[in-house]
This record gives sequence, C-alpha cells and structure tokens, in this order.
Amino acid sequence: MSTGREATWVVIPAYNEATIVGDIVRELLDLFENVVVVDDGSTDLSSEEALKAGAVVLRHAVNLGQGAALQTGIVYVLGQQADLIATFDADGQHQVSDIDELVAALRSAKADVALGSRFLGRTVSLPWAREIILKLAVVFTRLTTGLKVTDAHNGIRVLTANAARKLRIRQNRMGHASEIIHEIARLRLNYIEVPVTIVYSEYSLAKGQKSGNLVNILSELFLSRMQK
Amino acid sequence: MIIKLVLTAALAFCFFYGLTQKGRSTAISTSVLVVSVLGIYFVWFPQTTSAIAHFMGVGRGTDLVLYVWVILSLVVALSLHLKFNAQLELITELTRHIALREARHEPFLDRGPSTDSDSEGT
Repeated sequence: MSTGREATWVVIPAYNEATIVGDIVRELLDLFENVVVVDDGSTDLSSEEALKAGAVVLRHAVNLGQGAALQTGIVYVLGQQADLIATFDADGQHQVSDIDELVAALRSAKADVALGSRFLGRTVSLPWAREIILKLAVVFTRLTTGLKVTDAHNGIRVLTANAARKLRIRQNRMGHASEIIHEIARLRLNYIEVPVTIVYSEYSLAKGQKSGNLVNILSELFLSRMQK
Repeated sequence: MIIKLVLTAALAFCFFYGLTQKGRSTAISTSVLVVSVLGIYFVWFPQTTSAIAHFMGVGRGTDLVLYVWVILSLVVALSLHLKFNAQLELITELTRHIALREARHEPFLDRGPSTDSDSEGT
C-alpha cells in the first residue's frame, strides 16, 4: 500500500460555493495531489472555479444533497484506485491540516474510518443554539448506533478504500452524516475519533442549515429504518 | 339510494385498481381488494357495521368506519412517502451516472474574442 500523499483523494461536495471553493481546492492541492469536487447542481460557477483551481469536477445535473454528492465522489474516487478517501466541506469550516491528523491517526490505530470531532477538538465562534442541536444529535446517534461518538455531524473524515467500498450513503440530504455512523456500526468498522478545529464564519453560518432541520433529519432517519 | 350507488361505483373502481396492482405488491393489492369488497358490503348492509362496532367497543358503526378510514389514510400516506423515496433513489442513480460519465478535468476555454483556429474557417 502506497504511503504517499498521492494515495489520498479528497472529496468535496459543493453547492453554490463559487466564491470560496477555488481557494479551498488550491489550499488542498498544496498538500494533496488529487482533489475531486462534486458540484451538486450549483447555479453559480462553482464547477468552473474548482476546475480552474485544478480539481476534478463531477457535476450533478440536479441538486440532490450533500450526502448524494459525497457518495458520487466516493464512487468516482474508488474507480481511481485511491487508498484513502478524505471528505472535506466546501464552506471553509474545516482546516486542511486536520486531514493529515486524521490520516496519521487512522494509520497508527489501523482503523477503517477516522472521524473528525469538534468537541474533542476546538470550535471558533460556534453559536450556542447550534451547539445545543449538535449535542442533541450526538445523544440521538449514540442511542441509535450504540457507538460512543462525540460528534455526529462532522464533514471531515478519512476512510480506507475498503471501508468506502462497503459503505453506502442512501440519505441524500443532511441525514447522511448520522447514516455514515450507522453504517460504521452496522459494518462493524474500526473507527477512531480525532480532534479537529471547526471555524464558523459569517459566510458559513449564513449558508448553513437552519436549526429546524434537525427534526427533518431525525424523521428521515426514522423512516429510512422502515424501508430497509 | 343515490349515494349507495355512487359509493358502490367508487369502490368497484378501487376493486379493479386493486387487480391491476397484483403484480407490484401482493400485500397492498390484496388489502385493496378486501377493503373494496367489505366497503361495498357495508354500503348495502350498514347495520352490520354497528354490530362490529359494538363488538370492538366503539359506539356507532359510522364511528368505526371513520376510525378505520383514518388509519387507512395514514397507511396510504406512508405508502406514498415510501414510493416517493424509491423514485428519488432512481433519480439519484441517474444523476450520479451522468456526473461520473461527464467528469471534467479542464475548465472550458474562455469564450473571449476568438484567437484560435475556429475563426480561420474551413
């Protein structure tokens, strides 16, 4: 197994992030060779900005949701013979340097999945209302998966290709984060949580999901259990 | 009398619809067939609903019919929701397929004043 950076592919789901995605891609390409942006039906020039910055771009013809965009990116990257797959958000909340931390922790623990945790790590300008909802999500996820996670809704992760092959994200929209943790429990994957830093800016907060969506996420997860 | 005929016609329609659904789902089509036949029976013999209602601890036959209708409506709503989700999965697969086929590595060339061979013409 290759240990170089070229073995790690970074997948970035993006929706209308033309102002910032180029910078993020450029920053990632300083450290990693392979960056894929999945343009989830943006109505702005996200695709063009990502391409100009040097990313591979996959474009959803219609907006499906972050979960669907991630799954599309993962399928593509598996086809490119990646060893490790990192997921990373396009809104500037994540730190590029944290990917290295996740990869290092994954390797030393010989884990299948490394999950970033803001509550083990650090948050900057996290609004208190958002913090409450995130912590409630953690409680819910712990109860339903049995896994003692500390952050149930973090978009920065690293997976081995094998783990990514087994996993399948069916929740197109925001329920996908909890679904990934459910999959980890279902597939009995070895996971490790790693402290990361999440920085909330006015930009990312304005784009972020409305708090009321937690009810939607929970009801979608509940109903999805009925379909299986 | 007229309302009984209208209801019978509507329920007969449901019965035939149930027959068309046999291929898709035995559970749902059988339920529809049974409910339609029972419905027609109750339309013409409403006193039986009262008997059943008393047996189940409900005051009147019409109340029982109402309660059953509410439950059936919820079941229908749930069934539609699940069908909707199944449709969404198909759309997702399709969109993903297109995205993967059309993966891009290069930006489109700038559409500025033409300086390339296109303007030379053939």
